[in-house]
Amino acid sequence: MTAVGIVANPASGRDIRRLVSGASVFPTAEKASMVRRMLTALGSVGVETVLVSVDLGGISAAVLRGVRNRAAKETPWPHVRFVDDDAVTDSAQDTANAVRRMVAAGAKVIICLGGDGTARVATAALLAGPGCDVPLLSLSTGTNNAFPQMREATVAGLAAGLVATGAVDHGIATTRAHALEVRTGQRTALGLVDVAVSTEPYVGSRALWHPDALTELYCTFAEPDATGLSSIAGLLCPSPRDEPGGVAVRLCPAEQAPTVINAPIAPGLVLPVGVVAWRPLRTGELVEIGTTRGVVSFDGERELELVGTTGATVRLAEDGPLCVDVTAVMSQAARAGLFRSDRPVV
Amino acid sequence: MARTISYREAVNEALRQEMERDGSVIIMGEDNAGGAGSPGEDDAWGGVLGVTKGLQQRFPGRVLDTPISESAFVGAAVGAATRGLRPVAELMFIDFMGVCFDQIFNQAAKFRYMFGGKAVTPVVVRTMYGAGLNAAAQHSQCLYPLFTHIPGLKVVLPSSPYEAKGLLIQAIRDNDPVIFCEHKALYDMTGEVPEDSYTIPFGEADVVRDGDDVTIVALGRMVSVAEEAAAELARQDVQAEIIDPRTTSPLDRDTILESVENTGRLVVVDEATPRCGMAADISALVAQEAFGALRAPIEMVTAPHTPVPFAQPLEQLYIPDTQKVANAVKKTLDWKK
Amino acid sequence: MTPTQPAKATSGLDQKALLEAYRTMRTIREFEERLHLEFATGEIPGFVHLYAGEEASATAVCAHLDERDSIASTHRGHGHCIAKGVDVKEMMAEIYGRVTGSCRGKGGSMHIADLSKGMLGANGIVGGGPPLICGTALAAKHQGTGGVGVAFFGDGASNQGTTLEALNLASVWNLPAIFVAENNGYAEATAATWSVACDNIADRAVGFGMPGVIVDGFDFFAVYEAAGEAIERAREGGGPTLIEVKFTRYYGHFEGDQQTYRADEVARARASLDCLKQFRERVTASGRLDTAALDGVDGEVAGLIEAAVAEAKQAPVPTAHDLTTDVYVTY
Repeated sequence: MTAVGIVANPASGRDIRRLVSGASVFPTAEKASMVRRMLTALGSVGVETVLVSVDLGGISAAVLRGVRNRAAKETPWPHVRFVDDDAVTDSAQDTANAVRRMVAAGAKVIICLGGDGTARVATAALLAGPGCDVPLLSLSTGTNNAFPQMREATVAGLAAGLVATGAVDHGIATTRAHALEVRTGQRTALGLVDVAVSTEPYVGSRALWHPDALTELYCTFAEPDATGLSSIAGLLCPSPRDEPGGVAVRLCPAEQAPTVINAPIAPGLVLPVGVVAWRPLRTGELVEIGTTRGVVSFDGERELELVGTTGATVRLAEDGPLCVDVTAVMSQAARAGLFRSDRPVV
Repeated sequence: MARTISYREAVNEALRQEMERDGSVIIMGEDNAGGAGSPGEDDAWGGVLGVTKGLQQRFPGRVLDTPISESAFVGAAVGAATRGLRPVAELMFIDFMGVCFDQIFNQAAKFRYMFGGKAVTPVVVRTMYGAGLNAAAQHSQCLYPLFTHIPGLKVVLPSSPYEAKGLLIQAIRDNDPVIFCEHKALYDMTGEVPEDSYTIPFGEADVVRDGDDVTIVALGRMVSVAEEAAAELARQDVQAEIIDPRTTSPLDRDTILESVENTGRLVVVDEATPRCGMAADISALVAQEAFGALRAPIEMVTAPHTPVPFAQPLEQLYIPDTQKVANAVKKTLDWKK
Repeated sequence: MTPTQPAKATSGLDQKALLEAYRTMRTIREFEERLHLEFATGEIPGFVHLYAGEEASATAVCAHLDERDSIASTHRGHGHCIAKGVDVKEMMAEIYGRVTGSCRGKGGSMHIADLSKGMLGANGIVGGGPPLICGTALAAKHQGTGGVGVAFFGDGASNQGTTLEALNLASVWNLPAIFVAENNGYAEATAATWSVACDNIADRAVGFGMPGVIVDGFDFFAVYEAAGEAIERAREGGGPTLIEVKFTRYYGHFEGDQQTYRADEVARARASLDCLKQFRERVTASGRLDTAALDGVDGEVAGLIEAAVAEAKQAPVPTAHDLTTDVYVTY
């Protein structure tokens, strides 16, 4: 049995950035449609079973309706199994639970629909268990997506299917991403694109949109055409995604700064960000965070309150998630003629 | 100085004078300016029958066109009234009360009582009622009895241009929620109206015509129907006294009762349907309070217990007319124990 | 380094403001928990709908409001009243139907109001408030006060035409109105996941041309930030916002509801999500407030509620004279 898991986060694309920066809303109906389009694609390349996460936000319900109403003349879908072993908590825990269950059920690829936050939770669940070698294909349905890709779900489904069935070899199909590992006390947390420290006192509504509160920024990669905090580094000292090192930046309020970068720190927000200094961040290097008070954010979302008692460290780890490279997979499929059939023309 | 203007112009003038006098008066309703967001004139309509025409230009920003969302804008008028404005919301047809009644009867009407006398909600809902324009069942009703039923609301039925102006100015200055009902067939009625601003107090009936033989209580448009009937009866030596209550809530009970004490006969003329309406209400009042004075059973001249019909002959049959009023009067005169 | 941040940000919350927020949340909780007990004795007339569990929403939103601003509430309105500054003793007396109550005993739990505080009343009609708030926001805009109107409503009211009409009108008129959808998971006994077709109430904002955001209703700071941004935007002429606050109520729809439709979410919420618990843990862990100060507030609030109940029970009931007064200003 060849199985693929699809985790779709119902809450992605709903946070305060709709208000503070006019970020886009990703409708539930479209998330469900993406899953349905993927089912068609996965079925067409021979995936037999698709494990789909369950949510109270309406995605899994819409997929179920799609399964029930699938007409006989349409491309058959793989067998769909809803992963409903755990109670739905309406929190990030649901994503983590679903990923673990899918790995345990033998999923060969995990497709994750959400933003940076969802990808981070899925990655943490994969890396913490036996799923560290299960490839992840992260598709953007969130707000500020530096890590997940904006792609048509059909193509993503085809690529995931080809990896899952082994039609395209892992060596060609996947790359190991880096990750930023933050430790404080007993707690470890992971950032896929950036880790930032701010003087904001609380996790609050999670998103970060006051650049003057930022004091430190660490990026696994920094692309000049990114949105989000990594764009600060991307516009200052670009660091490609496929190269080993990252970037570390020290920040301060713009009016006190020797260097100011106008950066798209969130969709709809291009703001001056004060920069004190920047340098390459070497893989494996352990950096002490310069404060014991404030909030650490991961991929633009405040997650961790530092309350003054324990310090924290950041390390750029090589062993991040194994990611499906859709372009590489489809290129190989084309080279190998996997979608082609020839017959003599009479 | 009085001059002759129409009922429509009288309403418009009342709004204009109050908006000039008091910056907290704003008006809102569907097409009250008419033309919001359209490529043509901003003040294209001035209300569906032109009653608010010209106000938008005179008071920019204080004549608000609304989406067709009666609950939202009637509710907004109510909410604004609690915060220092004196909004006049136009419910285009009284028949549309069904899509906003909650905001009127559960919210506006009840604030003062429910909040222990601490709320003041000076909102006016202007609305058009009545048959006669072949507007059929959903645009022709006389639903003011439903509003009159609700404690906390005041209900006004001007029967002439003079009343329209004076009662509307009173409504705007009044500190309670007022339902101001304009009969659509009266808009072109003309009459003498003073140019200056004036108010007509609520709860004070107008004795339109003196007479000793019978009391006719007539509401809204029926006042002029009663007057025609009375003129006809006068030629037959019957002197009818006509009372126009002007407001159904508060109701001037004393003027009605005093008149019946004198005439001993009562005919109530109302264009509304008969059940639980003003005719029944006034009849009950007189039966209870002036039974000893009655020399004949009370007569009620109303529409039948049917929806308002469309076809012209049917609508004419539906609306109480001079002949029906005269017949009712004669019936009270002819009654023998 | 002093970051320059707007006062509405959580970093602007000094010790006094934090303690006030805690006091408000604790007062609401204590008020409701006590009513839960008192209702069971049969002494409280009528229907009572408790706000316990939802305290962070009313408190964090109203923390940004002042005398220019008005709110409309719901049948579950005690929390909104307390957060907008309605006198707690008068509220308790009102719920007991006493002449010393906020509404002289004529309103009861579902109609507590104090217009002098900009509190337009709890509301017995689901969806009754949002149109009213369009009006108060319009008044603020017309008068140029910079004030805003806030409509609190539930997941049930999110399906009412009045609410949807009000959202549209607020956008069309670009009103300084904030719509706070308090999604506690149930409209009476019907799950929001069933009754709200698009699942997230906030998603409806798109259709009305305004931002819609979801915040964790158990986290005071999350609600505080979202409300602060929305209110500032409205004050500056930026128009309305829809904020969906997600949480659960700790008690039934009304007191006496056996809640057989529910699972164990209340126990889970009380154990790990509770807004008061979270608030305490976070402000003490960071040293912003100490336990003694918080305990001090707890003691004061307990005393206040105790006194409110005692005074309410002793207060006179309305008399026949009160039956017919206050229907009109003049009649």
